[in-house]
Amino acid sequence: MRLRRLAAAAVALLALAACSPAGPDDAPVADGVTTVSFRLWDQQVAAAYEKSFAEFSRQNPDVRVHLNVVPWADYFTGLTLDVSSGTADDVYWLNALYFGALADSGKLVDVGRELAADAAGWVPAAVEQYSRGGTLWGVPALTDGRIVVFYNRAMVEAAGVDPANLTWHPTDPAADTFLPAVRRLTRDAGGRSADQPGFDPGSVTQYGFNAARDLQGIYYNFVGSNGGRFQAPDDTFAFTDPRSQQAFSYLVDLINVHHVAPSAADTNDNPDFSRDQFLHGKMALFQSGTYNLKNIDDGATFEWGIAPLPAGPAGRVSVVNSVIAAGNADSPRHEAVLRVLRWLGSEQGASFVGAEGAALPAVSAAQKAYFDFWSGRGVDTRYFGADGGTATIPAPSGPKFGPGSTAFEPILNEVFAGRTPVAEGLRAAQETGNAALR
Amino acid sequence: MRSRDTRTAYLLLAPSLFGVAAFLVLPILVVMWMALQRWDLIGPRTFVGLDNVVAVAQDGRFARSLLVTAVFVAIVIPAQTVLGLVAALLLNRGLRGSAVFRVVYVLPWICAPLVLGVVWRWILAPTDGALNALLGRRIEWLADPALALPSVAAVTVWTQVGYVALFFVAGLRAIPSTVLEAALLDGAGAWQTFRLVTLPLLRPTLFFVLVTGVISSFQVFDSVYALTPNGGPQGVTDVVAGRIYYEAFESRAVGQAAVMAVVLFVLLAAITLAQQRWFARRTTYDLST
Repeated sequence: MRLRRLAAAAVALLALAACSPAGPDDAPVADGVTTVSFRLWDQQVAAAYEKSFAEFSRQNPDVRVHLNVVPWADYFTGLTLDVSSGTADDVYWLNALYFGALADSGKLVDVGRELAADAAGWVPAAVEQYSRGGTLWGVPALTDGRIVVFYNRAMVEAAGVDPANLTWHPTDPAADTFLPAVRRLTRDAGGRSADQPGFDPGSVTQYGFNAARDLQGIYYNFVGSNGGRFQAPDDTFAFTDPRSQQAFSYLVDLINVHHVAPSAADTNDNPDFSRDQFLHGKMALFQSGTYNLKNIDDGATFEWGIAPLPAGPAGRVSVVNSVIAAGNADSPRHEAVLRVLRWLGSEQGASFVGAEGAALPAVSAAQKAYFDFWSGRGVDTRYFGADGGTATIPAPSGPKFGPGSTAFEPILNEVFAGRTPVAEGLRAAQETGNAALR
Repeated sequence: MRSRDTRTAYLLLAPSLFGVAAFLVLPILVVMWMALQRWDLIGPRTFVGLDNVVAVAQDGRFARSLLVTAVFVAIVIPAQTVLGLVAALLLNRGLRGSAVFRVVYVLPWICAPLVLGVVWRWILAPTDGALNALLGRRIEWLADPALALPSVAAVTVWTQVGYVALFFVAGLRAIPSTVLEAALLDGAGAWQTFRLVTLPLLRPTLFFVLVTGVISSFQVFDSVYALTPNGGPQGVTDVVAGRIYYEAFESRAVGQAAVMAVVLFVLLAAITLAQQRWFARRTTYDLST
């Protein structure tokens, strides 16, 4: 009887332990070995990191790295709560939306000071993106490179479109080769293209392009390639900039006037809809980044290729977004954390990520492994890099960009759905977004 | 002797009192305290007095979310109560297969609302959704401002009907057969018996179903969030619990979210009290005579 009670108590304790959130102090500990916990959101990169950290621990037998993969959907809500309660991991990935607030609150290791000697080897755009207050707040881990256009080879050949030489223009139809091309590439159930009489926009079976409320993949690049602005130097939103407004109008018309892109009802709340349409052979041009390269390589059952962005009045301009590995300033394992960060920022440490094509490392010398991997698979990746002729603009930033984007996104949803006029919607989005920054 | 009895009584009550204090009273006090702070979850907290109350009062989105929630409750509660009662009456007739249907009805209620929300989002998707494929036409169930709230409410009703029916079945079985037989002998028809005998004797069950239904509908979050993130088109599904979530974890304005939570708490307490008073005057729990 007593034994049964003891067993019941043990089971209850185990159940309670299973319910407890994992924190850095829950990481397994062995004699004389310091375990550093590392939180990230990408399973594919985590698999590459397992190999990288096995090598790291071989060279540093007194430090072990425990990976904690948290799904993207819950990543930042959980991280913010864990940082506030002091249970965040020793090292964690951050993106541009959240690093500013954490840096300003003194929660991150000052990488610019601690690893100053290593910074020269990191992608300059990533260093610029995560520098704030005169210093750098993390080791650049991944970079998305330039945004590109994935295309379905059979579809573009059938329509006689050269995806590598498209230009768009918001006001001059003579300078706009992009719109006629995507109209030719869009087809209805009767086989008519969007530039033919009798085209039925209610029965599209093949979309020409993936215009949508997608900041990184779509509209930020159109704003940049029209010479527009997204943010002012003080981080406030500047959607009402006339050139930004032109870019938004052009995209909204692609969806609601020309019907060459999926309805916003499909894409506003489902960011993967367009990618899935492309993979199902129902979309000709899919504008996206390196973050979708492996998905397309794994999922496409047709011949595909990569073209540069369509050039706007200001040329081909792409946002370059990166991810950093940030050190937890409150971690009691500061010295071990620095060793892990230094390894992540080294050519050897980062090369594991590129070697299997999982993601493009933000360590310049380690990028060759990534490009070699994809070349070996017959994929032309030149447009992701600096040699492809696409200029870059910095990713959006600011300590309260996250709350700001939460505030303006529902308004942009209405703009892309065509229910709110572009000028009116952008003005409201700007005011609401800026109010959230205060 | 008496004080010893009192001590023993408190000792026996201690585990429950601890639970109430730790998991009910303390969180309420913490939320009230948070309502007076400015905090972004990351930086330090600052006492700001009633600033958050003023900010919430001036925030049109919170007023809109209260209205959206009230409309949602007004759709869900009558629908799930009537359908639940109809289902219970059918199940109570003891027809063949009733036991199987009892289980089938309750299945949606025991599933995680977030999972059901994801599944229904696939079903209701405009382009590749199962329902539109069945109907052979494109309807934007969750993206059309006129349809989004009724669609979300319909999914909630579908989830809750089995749960409500279960309570009504129990209530129907508690009605003594002698009362129903007496009504029959007095010449009452089926409809008269239901309206004048069964329904009044079901009031204790109705009271429970309405009180718990209203509270859970006012607090609805997960299924709405899964079906229509970001408050839906034009904010038509921006329910109060969702607004509190966005304010706390997306906008990182924890103090204002706490004010909203306090308002919701007071509102629910008032509605529950009103329901309790209304039913107290009209309900008998004595079915023996």
